[in-house]
Order: sequence, then C-alpha cells, then structure tokens
Amino acid sequence: MQAVSRPVELRMLLPLVVLVPLGFAVTNIARTDVLDPGPMGLAIGYVALVIGAHLALRLVGNRGDQLLLPAAAAIGAVGIVMLNRLPQSLFGTDVFGVELGMATTQLLWFAVGLTAMVAVATLYRDDGILRHYKYSWALAGALLLVITFLFGREVNGARLWIYIGPVGFQPGEAIKIVLVVFIAAYLAEKRALLSEASARIGPIRIPPLPYLLPMVAIFVIVMLIVVVSRDLGTALLFLGIFLTMLFVATGRRSYVLLGLLLFVVGSFVAYNLFGHVRVRVDNWIDPFADPSGTGYQTVQALYAFGRGGLFGEGLGQGLPSISGRLPIPALPTDFIFAAVAEELGLIGAFALLALAMVLVFRGLRTAMLARDDFSAMLAVGLTVSLGLQTLIIAAGNVKLVPLTGITFPFVSYGGSSLLASFVVVGLLLAISHRSAVDAAVEGRGP
Amino acid sequence: MTGEVLRLLLLALQLGFLALLYVILFGFARSLLRDLRSAEVTQMASQSGIGRLAVLESPDDEPPAGSSIALGPINSIGRNVNSTIFVEDDFVSGSHAMLTFRGRSWFIEDQGSTNGTYVNGHRIDRPVALSFGDELTIGRVRMRLER
Repeated sequence: MQAVSRPVELRMLLPLVVLVPLGFAVTNIARTDVLDPGPMGLAIGYVALVIGAHLALRLVGNRGDQLLLPAAAAIGAVGIVMLNRLPQSLFGTDVFGVELGMATTQLLWFAVGLTAMVAVATLYRDDGILRHYKYSWALAGALLLVITFLFGREVNGARLWIYIGPVGFQPGEAIKIVLVVFIAAYLAEKRALLSEASARIGPIRIPPLPYLLPMVAIFVIVMLIVVVSRDLGTALLFLGIFLTMLFVATGRRSYVLLGLLLFVVGSFVAYNLFGHVRVRVDNWIDPFADPSGTGYQTVQALYAFGRGGLFGEGLGQGLPSISGRLPIPALPTDFIFAAVAEELGLIGAFALLALAMVLVFRGLRTAMLARDDFSAMLAVGLTVSLGLQTLIIAAGNVKLVPLTGITFPFVSYGGSSLLASFVVVGLLLAISHRSAVDAAVEGRGP
Repeated sequence: MTGEVLRLLLLALQLGFLALLYVILFGFARSLLRDLRSAEVTQMASQSGIGRLAVLESPDDEPPAGSSIALGPINSIGRNVNSTIFVEDDFVSGSHAMLTFRGRSWFIEDQGSTNGTYVNGHRIDRPVALSFGDELTIGRVRMRLER
C-alpha cells in the first residue's frame, strides 16, 4: 500500500463543496421566504463524507478510475438536496430511541456506502474468491431470495424486506451483485465454448445448450422467485443484465433475440396470470382511466413533469412542499426523478441522466481495459446494472414503460440501494486499479 | 419591496444551482474528451496484440517471473531453443505445447509432452479453448493468458 495522488478526482469533487450547501440554502429560502440559509449540518456532512472517501482512496493507494466517484457523488448530491427539501417525517427512522429525519438517515447510509466502497476497492485483490466459488454465491443468493419470500415483511404488495431488529434491508439489491458475479464467472469460463461451438438447423444457429444450461437454470430460478414475490422492476433489470452480458461474452445476436422472445412470452403469461402486473400495465396504457385510484401516482408524476417544463419551477418551489404532504406517496423512492424534473426542469433532469451516462461510460471503459475475461465481464455486468436501473426507473416515471418499483441509483431514498450502488463503484474501482497496476508493470500506459 | 428583492435573489440562486450543475457536467465532458485523446487509449486501440502471457511462477527464471510475453497467432512452447516461447525448466519437454489463436479464441494443445499441460489445474488430453484469465501450467512454470 503506497499513497497515490488522485488529482482529477479531487478537481471533479471540489464543485460539490459549493453545490450542496447552495442547494440546501436555496430550498430553505424558498420554503421559509426569509433570507436564511437554514441548518447546514447535513450539507457539510455530505461534502465531508465524499472528500473523506477521496482521501481514503488516496491513502490506500488505489490507482483506479478517477471519474467514477465524482460522478456518483454528483448524482448523490442532487439526491440529498431533494431529500432534505421534502418533509422529513415521511421516511424517518428510529435508531436507539433517537428519531432521525429522512435526509439524516440517508446521510448515514451514504457514510456506510462510501465506507463499503473504499473497503471493497481496497480488499478485492484476488478474484479467486468470487470466481471459483461461483455456484456457492449463486446458491447463497437464491437462498437469500427464498428466505425473503418466506419470512420477509410485505410492503406495497411485494415481499422485499428482511428485518433484523429495527434495521430492514432489501436482499434484492445484494442478489443483483451476486447474480452478476455468477454470470461473469460462468461466462468467463465458458466463453470460448459458447461463441465457437454451435449447431445449425437450417439458417438458425442453435446455441450449444449443454454449456448454457447451468447458467440458464439458475437464472430461471432467480427470475421465478423474483416474479412470484412480485418484484417486477428487479425481474426486468435481471433479464436486461443477463442478456447484455451474454451478448458481450459471445457476440451472438441470436442469444439476445431468443432472450427477447422469452421476455415477450413471459410478459404475456405474467399479464394474464398476475393481477398486479395487469394493474401496472393498464396504468401505463391509460393512467387517466382511474386518475384518483390506481393511476394516481402516474398521473401526478406526469403533472409534475408538465409543471417543470424546460427550466423547472425552481429548486424548492415545486408542489411537493405544499402543506407538508406529498402528492405522490412514493416520491422519495420511486418518483424522485419526477420531483427533480419538476423543480429543475428538463435541464436538470437531463443533467442527472448525463451524469449517470458518465458513470456508465467509465464503467465500460474499465471493462475494456480489464486484462482477463472475468474482470471484464464483471465490470460490464455491474455497469449495466447501474445504467439499466437508472433507465428503467426514469422511463417508468415518464410513462415510457410500465412503472416498476426500483430505485434511482444514488438519488432515491433507501439504504440497501445506496449501499449496493456504492459496492458496485467499489468493485469497478478495484478492477480498474488492477488493470492500471498491470499496465504500469509492463511499461505501457501510465 | 423586500419580497421582490428576495424573489429575485432566490431566482438568481436557483439559476446558480443549475449553472453549477452544468459546470460539473462540462468538467466531466472535458475529462472524458481528454482521456479519449490521451496516449493510453490510442495506444490501446492501435495495439495489434491478440494476447499476452503473464508469467506468474518460474523457478529457473526463464522466462522471468513477473514478465509478460506478447503473443503472435502461433506459439510453440518448449525447452527447444527455437520455440516461440522458450522455457528453461527440467520438467518441460523440447516441444511441449502449441498455443494458437484461431477465429476468435485461443487454443492450447499438448504436443505429447512427458509431464503434460495443465489448464486451471486440469491436465488436458485434447485441444482446449482458453479464456482470458485462464492459467497454464507447463512443467513448473505457471502463466496466465491476458488481453
């Protein structure tokens, strides 16, 4: 371990020192109508955490990508400003008798997430732990799902929560990472076989099924549990990750087409089999059919986008502030993108998506520079999991696809999601660190 | 009047927030562009190499441990001095194995060596397709195929 300097990262993080307190001040002035920036503790706390993570990465000598953390931190900055500006009692937690507001809770999770990120980036040196025990990981993930399904607490019709004492978490977020690890390890091992050997029936290339089967089997099991526990967003996300990784590993379009075909059939079956799927899809096709009932949130979100327009209503001046109640109950989690678009307009929403794109770009670059198949596949899968999740929830908010209850990475309120997203960044940092060190050894590259 | 001033100030601050968000975004855009033009990536793109062998363990230090060998499409591995990859080790045969790049993948084939060729710890008895990251053991020399 030898301390390194990360100048680009520091330079990209510095604007946040102004941005976050400015956001806090603006929202407080807009809310109170007096020239008072209001309490700054959380804003300073956020900036301190992010800079602290930067210093920690320098100290442990991480030579990984320097734009990953700033991109995540900038997205998170918009998130903490929005969450701080909403009524705090909505999603507060009670930790050892102390009542904590929503933004305070989120800040604590940022601390946990950033710590986990630095720990993963530092400790992940030998990929053997992930690679060689892939079936154990897959099994552990599936078991976790089953446990959630059997003993989990039901919230909004989906069993996604496990409670240990007062602290609840969503295993789905951890399983996302475990699934990516498993698929990456499997594909890295069998890549050559999967892309070379294949039978033909007429013009159609048939995938070498015996090699695909173990992976497909585990994937189907996971999907079944996810679908049965009614977590549709996660199911869609898993399918997207799976197909992307399969395509990247083999370069075969036929696999993707086959997967999409399965998706269409699966959607059709799900629509006819599950009531809640039908409700979601019907809402998507025409939310105004029941604007005060099942279509309520979607309709309110559409109004929010409409009110926001190009430049937004102004930070702190959107409708969520009215009389301390939210027009959209799930605003801090599922509809945070609608809130951002209402107050910062298309301009602000675009900035948020562009920042997410920076993250994806750097993640794919990490995959490109990786020296072995497992690292490359892992980086692709993790990156796609973040990018696709952003895409699915943003598209759901604007009614481009049926709304699914997944979080906007780094923005939505929620500890499990935040922690998982930062672990992903930590893994990407570790992978890019390894490529940088290897390249330096060979004397080509920086 | 003060209400008016406050409103204007608020508007200015709100625009300042958005502007700063875009300053950050342009900072990223600049860093990304600089990176795309940098030597590292152009070097990577023009890099004709189809793969490398990283030497992990080599008791007699030929090839030296810790070094990395650039590979051509066809590589013979053995104690024979004419081998593409010359390995000085008592447990390696003169013509030990062939490492070839065919189509889109690397393949390794044992050339009837005395002590065998191992891929990820398993002895091979026919040509085997390799993935990047796989470990080859030839005699007492351990090597890893890398991009």
